[in-house]
Amino acid sequence: MNPYKCWAALGLLGLLPLVVSAKPIAFAKGKTVMFEYGAGTMNEVQVFYAPRYWYSIGGGWLQLQSEDGAKQRHITYLRGNLLAKRWNLPAAQANVFVWGGLGTATGNDFAGSTLARNIGFQADYETRRVYSSFRSDLQESDHFSHRIDTLQLGWAPYKHDYNTLATWFVVQGRRYTGDLFEGTETALLVRFFKGNTWVEVGATTDGKLQAMAMFNF
Amino acid sequence: MRFLKTIFFSLLFGASSLASAKTIEMDVNGLVCAFCAQGIEKTLKTFPATQAVFVSLEDRVVAVQLKEGADIDDATLRKAITDAGYTVVAIRRTDASLDEIRKRVSDHD
Repeated sequence: MNPYKCWAALGLLGLLPLVVSAKPIAFAKGKTVMFEYGAGTMNEVQVFYAPRYWYSIGGGWLQLQSEDGAKQRHITYLRGNLLAKRWNLPAAQANVFVWGGLGTATGNDFAGSTLARNIGFQADYETRRVYSSFRSDLQESDHFSHRIDTLQLGWAPYKHDYNTLATWFVVQGRRYTGDLFEGTETALLVRFFKGNTWVEVGATTDGKLQAMAMFNF
Repeated sequence: MRFLKTIFFSLLFGASSLASAKTIEMDVNGLVCAFCAQGIEKTLKTFPATQAVFVSLEDRVVAVQLKEGADIDDATLRKAITDAGYTVVAIRRTDASLDEIRKRVSDHD
C-alpha cells in the first residue's frame, strides 16, 4: 500500500517507494502493519484498521532526510483512506483510492513542531500477470510542501493462486517536487507475497536499497 | 393434476437436494490478488455453518464446505462477498467435497 499517508502529515511520505504499490486498505475488519526502509532517506512504520473494505483509518511515524543528510523531518500522523471506486472484472480489478491526514512534524530546518497536512490519490489496475498504478501525494505544512508522483508497472512471471507464492517484478518511476528532494528517480523492485505477508526489496538505479514488509491479519 | 404432482415432486426433490448440499460454490469477479482476497476467507469462516473455505484465483471461485445439515442462504453469501469488496456472479450448490473441487481446479491449471 501505499499507504499512507495522508493524514498525516505528512508529508513526505511520498517518498516511499514501496508502499506505493500496495493498496491502502487490505480487507474489512483487517489490520495492516507495515515497515519500510527507503534508500537511506526514509523509515516508516504504519498501522491501519479497516472497519469496512472501502475505508481504513490509522497512523504512523515517518522519518525523512535529504540525500546529503542536511535536512531531517519526523512526522507522526493520523490518516484516513477511502476506496472511492472499484471495478471488479472477471480477471482484473481496478481501484481509485483517496486519502487525507493530519499530523505533527518536526525538522532540523525549522524550529518546534508544525501541523502537517496530506492529501493524495491512487488509481490502479491489475490482473494476475500485470500491475499498474499511479499515485500522487501532496504534503504540506507552514514549513514545507512536497508533491510526489509515482508510476509503477509490474509483471508477474507466473500466475499465483490463493495459497501459492506470488512474485512480481516492478519498475517504478517517481518524480519529487519540494525542498527535500528534487527530480525523478527510477527503481527496480521484486515483490513477494503469500498468506498474510508481503515483502518487497529492490534498489534505485543509483544502487540504493529499498525494502518493505507488510502484514495483514 | 399431473401438472401439480410434477410441481410437487420437483419442489420436493429440489429441497432435498439443497438440504444435502455439501458445498456452495460462488463465481466471483475481482479475484486477482491472494493478499487482498484474505478478507473473503476470513469472513466466511466466521459463519457457524462453515466447515472450510477454498479460494481459487485461477477459476475465480470461492467454495464453502458446509457442516453436516447446515446451510447459508444466498443473500447472506452475497452480502459477505460484497462486503469484502468483490462481486458475486453466480452461486451453485453441489454435493462435491472441497477436495473434489480443489482437484478439479488443479486438473485444469
